[in-house]
Amino acid sequence: MTAVELIVSSLLLGGFVAAGGAYGILLSLGHALRDARWRRLALAAYAVQCIFAVAVVVFTPLDWWWKLLIGASDAAYYFVPPMTWRYLISLHDLPEESSR
Amino acid sequence: MIAQPAYESQRLGMKYFAAAITLFGVMIVAGLAAAASYVVPGFLPGLPFSIQKILHIDTLIIWLLMGFLGSIYYLLPLEYKRDLVGMKLANAVFWIFCGTVAAVALTFIFVQIGPGTEKTLWLVNQGRKYVEAPRWASVIITIGIAVFMYNVIATAVLAKRMTGVLWVLIADLVPLFALYLIAFPAITNMSADQFWWWWLVHFWVEATWEVLMACIVAIMLMQLLNTKRNIVETWLYIEVALVLGTGVLGIGHHYFWIGAPKYWMGIGGLFSALEPLPLLGMVVHAIYDAGEHKMQVANRPAFFWMLAEAFGNFIGAGIWGFMITLPQVNMFAHGTQWTASHGHFAFWGAYGCGVITVIYLALQHQRKAESFNGTAWKWGFGMLNLGMIGMAGALLVSGMTQAFYERAIGGSTLSAFIAAQQNPWFVEGMWMRLASGLLFAGGYFVLVYDFLTIGRRVEVTAPAAPVLSGSAGD
Amino acid sequence: MAFGDPRFWRSGAISSIAVMVVVLVMLTANTLASMRVGGKHVPPYTIINYSIDYQPNADTGVYQPVIGAPQAFFGKTYSPSEAAATMREGKLAIQSHACMDCHTFFGNGAYYAPDLTRAWLDPAWKNVWMPMTQSSTREEAMARFLMAPEKYATWSRKMPDLHISRNEAVSIVAYLKWLSAVDTNGFPNGFTTK
Repeated sequence: MTAVELIVSSLLLGGFVAAGGAYGILLSLGHALRDARWRRLALAAYAVQCIFAVAVVVFTPLDWWWKLLIGASDAAYYFVPPMTWRYLISLHDLPEESSR
Repeated sequence: MIAQPAYESQRLGMKYFAAAITLFGVMIVAGLAAAASYVVPGFLPGLPFSIQKILHIDTLIIWLLMGFLGSIYYLLPLEYKRDLVGMKLANAVFWIFCGTVAAVALTFIFVQIGPGTEKTLWLVNQGRKYVEAPRWASVIITIGIAVFMYNVIATAVLAKRMTGVLWVLIADLVPLFALYLIAFPAITNMSADQFWWWWLVHFWVEATWEVLMACIVAIMLMQLLNTKRNIVETWLYIEVALVLGTGVLGIGHHYFWIGAPKYWMGIGGLFSALEPLPLLGMVVHAIYDAGEHKMQVANRPAFFWMLAEAFGNFIGAGIWGFMITLPQVNMFAHGTQWTASHGHFAFWGAYGCGVITVIYLALQHQRKAESFNGTAWKWGFGMLNLGMIGMAGALLVSGMTQAFYERAIGGSTLSAFIAAQQNPWFVEGMWMRLASGLLFAGGYFVLVYDFLTIGRRVEVTAPAAPVLSGSAGD
Repeated sequence: MAFGDPRFWRSGAISSIAVMVVVLVMLTANTLASMRVGGKHVPPYTIINYSIDYQPNADTGVYQPVIGAPQAFFGKTYSPSEAAATMREGKLAIQSHACMDCHTFFGNGAYYAPDLTRAWLDPAWKNVWMPMTQSSTREEAMARFLMAPEKYATWSRKMPDLHISRNEAVSIVAYLKWLSAVDTNGFPNGFTTK
């Protein structure tokens, strides 16, 4: 890995997680505020994350198994926020089971 | 008039909070000195960088640990509905603990180092990062943690009451105690020494502390914010499963370069790459809670610090960590200011913000204030967090410069090290870090002012929903 | 719903931790065997009796220590017990002088001063300090530097005088020579010894 590749790779990896975070935050805000515009922005952030993932695969000298891991986790990032949200709602709807 | 806490244990908790916040201040002063040493070498004659650094990182560990102890001592009586067992002993330990910290600080400042003998390790300095405190002090810390365990476990036995949270807490205290014993040996073989040293550092900071913090938040949610027990316990188990499920073998990311087998690169890289996913879940959870409470909670500072914890943890540990965790990148970023950037942000997000949250909630509970708000906390919040973002950003610039010039181009020789340290990007990053540190220090003073006065000042605020419940003092 | 039942997640937490801990214990046993002194990654202490270099592997390109011909260290050959005693003294001196709070070993420590993993191999000893300290060997230059670092400083960020004795300096230099022969999976990459 050359010096330039080092900086490019790390920034792409950081950008990948940052875009994933933005997607999760915007999607949650969309649910919390019941506003579809935020959710559309969230999808845009996820699209950016996918672009980062593709850039990691194409432009970095990372070993293939790390690139595979980035691809797989890109897919996982898509599902984590909506699943967490749905789970939180169903959890908070449960009746109290045990007393204090 | 300010009401006293109902339980002796809660009074002890408040003392621990006071000690923690004092040490937080010492940490900042030592950090500023160390930051200044980068730009004006030797500016403090008689106190070398190594000692400034020791004071900075050891007080970091101790202030957070005291914050955790304070939180547990404050919150646990609410869970047990009774005072903790052995409070006289615990009170004595508190003062011994404080005396020990002061004695160690004075030893570091005035004696600093000693000849290469076991005696020096017992009396002056152990010279192992984070656990430099001499062995006599480590013995006292060990006894202190043992007494704390006794308080918790004996109370559970006497109260004949075990909840899920208490099981997790007690199960967590056992490794917390056992791992600290690694602070003692001086293994000659550096590879084996660092192997075990990482057990202490990693399994404290990235495992047992995380679980301890989760237990504290769980009790806080139930006892102070009235969240249902089965929800809290379900969430706690999920968090424990995720944190330890990824964190146990996540230790591998510390074993890439210490003379360990190559397979740690695969294991460490894989598990630490998975780490941002549960952190993302926590951010979603924080926003869910914010939506639930419509931002109208009665303790706005605690609420915002809790949000800062979720976001700070995601950015500091998640984004900053992921930049440098894969072995091919870590090869160059490891052991540079880049690591320091990640360390500052992650410690602050995961623990600093969490302890401040608990203190705000405990203060409201103790002062029986209907609403906690005002202007001061906003300034403290803004200055501390902007200061931290500034420090982490500045260290990132310096760290990338160092990785670029020293590691990737220069091959890590002494001349490459010096060239990178003198590079204008590096130097400017260091100045920016110092400036941001000063902003952070300013925020600290506002925070302390707010801790001392919030709920006691007369403020005109809109009435808010009461959040106090389960207060045994009522 | 099973997912809403705390007991489901409690079982999940316990079983996942149990599996991870078992794997960790197995890997720990294997790792400790390979990093014992004289093991696959960590050389015997008597490695100080040989010349050491650091070069990329011809097949993988990963940097690794290269052990060369026998070479006197401070004019003598150390027996295994002498070498072990010297290493013990060196490690104690390194800890008691808090070296790790300015420097790093294997990249762990503080970032104020250079990493010491390959310090023994640094070309600056030959090019700068051997002439400066009027030493005929690398080890002698290192020992003299350690005993009077302010006198032999090369830039503004000076190493302070840590009152290191001659015996301590010799032990520390021996320790650093041994350390430079540890196989660290290529860290640091691209280190030039000439």
